[in-house]
Amino acid sequence: MKKILLLTLAFCFLAAGAAFGADTVKIGLMGPMTGPWASEGQEMKQVLDLLAGDINEAGGLNGMQVEIIAEDDAGDPRQASLAATRLTTMDIVAVIGTYGSSITEATQNIYDESSIIQVANGSTAIRLTEKGLEYFFRTCPRDDEQGKVAAQTIKDLGFKKVAILHDNTSYAKGLAGETQGLLKNEGGMDIVFFEALTPGERDYNTILTKMKAVKPDCVFFTGYYPEAGLLLRQKNEMGWDVPFIGGDATNHPDLVKIAGKDSAQGFYFVSAPLPRDLDTPEAKSFVSDFQSQYGNAPQSIYAVLAGDGFRVVAEAIRQTKSTDKDKLADYLHEELTDFSGLTGAISFNEKGDRVGKVYRVYQVDENGDFILQP
Amino acid sequence: MELFFQQLTNGLAVGGIYALIALGYTMVYGVLKLINFAHGDLFTIGAYLGLTLLTSMSLTDRLGPTFGVLMLAVMVMMLVGLVGILLDQAAYKPLRTSPRLSAVVSALGASIFFQNTIMLIYGARFHVYPQDILPNVVINLFGMPVPLVRILILLTSVVMMVALYAFIQKTKVGTAIRAAAEDQGAARLMGIDVNGVIMIVFFIGPALGGAAGLMVGLYYGQVNFTMGWIYGLKAFTAAILGGIGNIPGAMVGGILLGVIEALGAAYISIAWKDAIAFLVLILILIVRPTGLLGERVAEKV
Repeated sequence: MKKILLLTLAFCFLAAGAAFGADTVKIGLMGPMTGPWASEGQEMKQVLDLLAGDINEAGGLNGMQVEIIAEDDAGDPRQASLAATRLTTMDIVAVIGTYGSSITEATQNIYDESSIIQVANGSTAIRLTEKGLEYFFRTCPRDDEQGKVAAQTIKDLGFKKVAILHDNTSYAKGLAGETQGLLKNEGGMDIVFFEALTPGERDYNTILTKMKAVKPDCVFFTGYYPEAGLLLRQKNEMGWDVPFIGGDATNHPDLVKIAGKDSAQGFYFVSAPLPRDLDTPEAKSFVSDFQSQYGNAPQSIYAVLAGDGFRVVAEAIRQTKSTDKDKLADYLHEELTDFSGLTGAISFNEKGDRVGKVYRVYQVDENGDFILQP
Repeated sequence: MELFFQQLTNGLAVGGIYALIALGYTMVYGVLKLINFAHGDLFTIGAYLGLTLLTSMSLTDRLGPTFGVLMLAVMVMMLVGLVGILLDQAAYKPLRTSPRLSAVVSALGASIFFQNTIMLIYGARFHVYPQDILPNVVINLFGMPVPLVRILILLTSVVMMVALYAFIQKTKVGTAIRAAAEDQGAARLMGIDVNGVIMIVFFIGPALGGAAGLMVGLYYGQVNFTMGWIYGLKAFTAAILGGIGNIPGAMVGGILLGVIEALGAAYISIAWKDAIAFLVLILILIVRPTGLLGERVAEKV
């Protein structure tokens, strides 16, 4: 008797779930809502909530309301695989996220096995799209693209003796290796230092002292902004005035807060353009909407790239009039060309990588503002 | 050679902070045989409270930098000490007679609770101390430029440690703490208020952790809610290295760990820094299983 009751109950729930699923499109968001990158994750959610709200107000996607289901990956691969497993049971069409490459990597196969489209927003490690995964896309460019721009920048600025420092995460190590490889093949370039620091610590004087001893012309740091800020601050305190160049993970206003304006001034970094440096009408209206909704402009470019991930998925659903994953993936791979994203034109190649030039070079000025370099 | 001394000062500055936090682990372990895993988060609370008090009361503007920072340190230590007592009352006291493992699980739970409470109150973003609190003076030490603040940090740590050691060795309360650490039952029979002793221990340990948090905030500037994890882990290692339960051991262990890390990073590899530090820990524990200054007591596991 009990069994029958349970079965009936289970059936009722399933039926209700199916009926409910019919008039909503569920899009997952996997982001670091807690942990060291929590500010990115929470902004990713703000961006998606805003964009989904706009779509729902305008009548939804093909008449269906969009629902964002957010799960926390805590910036930790173990937590992320739990979050991914939970999301796969929630009948989502696609998932946006996540930020760190090693975190995304831990979840790729989980989504692929459930044929859920994954659009990563900050994971730039090369090998993520070299696995032949059919449902994986990313709106951020790859590290080899970034490595090229970084190597070019270092050359253009006339530096010969280069110190490269990473933090052993998939992203930072990949970018450091890529740049090292490109510079090695150049004549007259000398990599005098190549090592990794431990992220999350406070005192990097040991590393700076060691680097200073080999007298590089410039230091290329491929890690994230909390460490970059401390490095700049402690370098300034040591009275060492070597120029620092950062990868795109240093692009965050908190960098200047942590380093202080004096120490941050003159710091170069390679990054996708900031929302305010974009001149497309989409980007402008998005930034002002965000401002009026949350009281401040979006801080992190990766949150905006998550928004682009959401927008391409929405576009695919709209154009194919379907939530069939294979149709959506085909559309994104083949038909979507020069979609006007918040961060510029978006197309994907057959691997799911974003095509086109995205990276720019920025420098921090004396007021701590990020100035786009020509 | 100059490089060696430069790295030595780097190591001493970091080690001084490890030592200060390690004292909290070691005091609690000495009396209760409990590893207080929430100690790293008390350190974080110290850093955040310091920031809040500093910015909201503008102490340094009103009282001048030296006296302002001193006042701030006293306030932070008092408050974090109180949090420590509350932690003991809520998380450990009900488990006093339970198996030791229950209290360890409770400690881990308290750690998660603190970390997330801080995140909910202050938000997940990095917070930054105002920059102009401590003077950026570089003094010349034997022909080597060393920021004054680094020396002050090490000095403050050493002074606090020596004061604590004198308190434990010379005062009546200190004697009571040592008695309770040796044998709680016997101490109670001698008329020592063991619960009072535990309360004092849970005030002093966290207060020192809070002071370390404040120093890290003032010097490095950047605080966030996960910062206690790495510092807590390192300080715990330092306490083991010096012999857990032993106060001079925590000092020696902390400073030694900082120096090993700095020299390991300087002369072997930065990425292997932690591995080198832990290798030294293993080697020391093979030769001296109770740590450098730990006593050989059979019942201590």
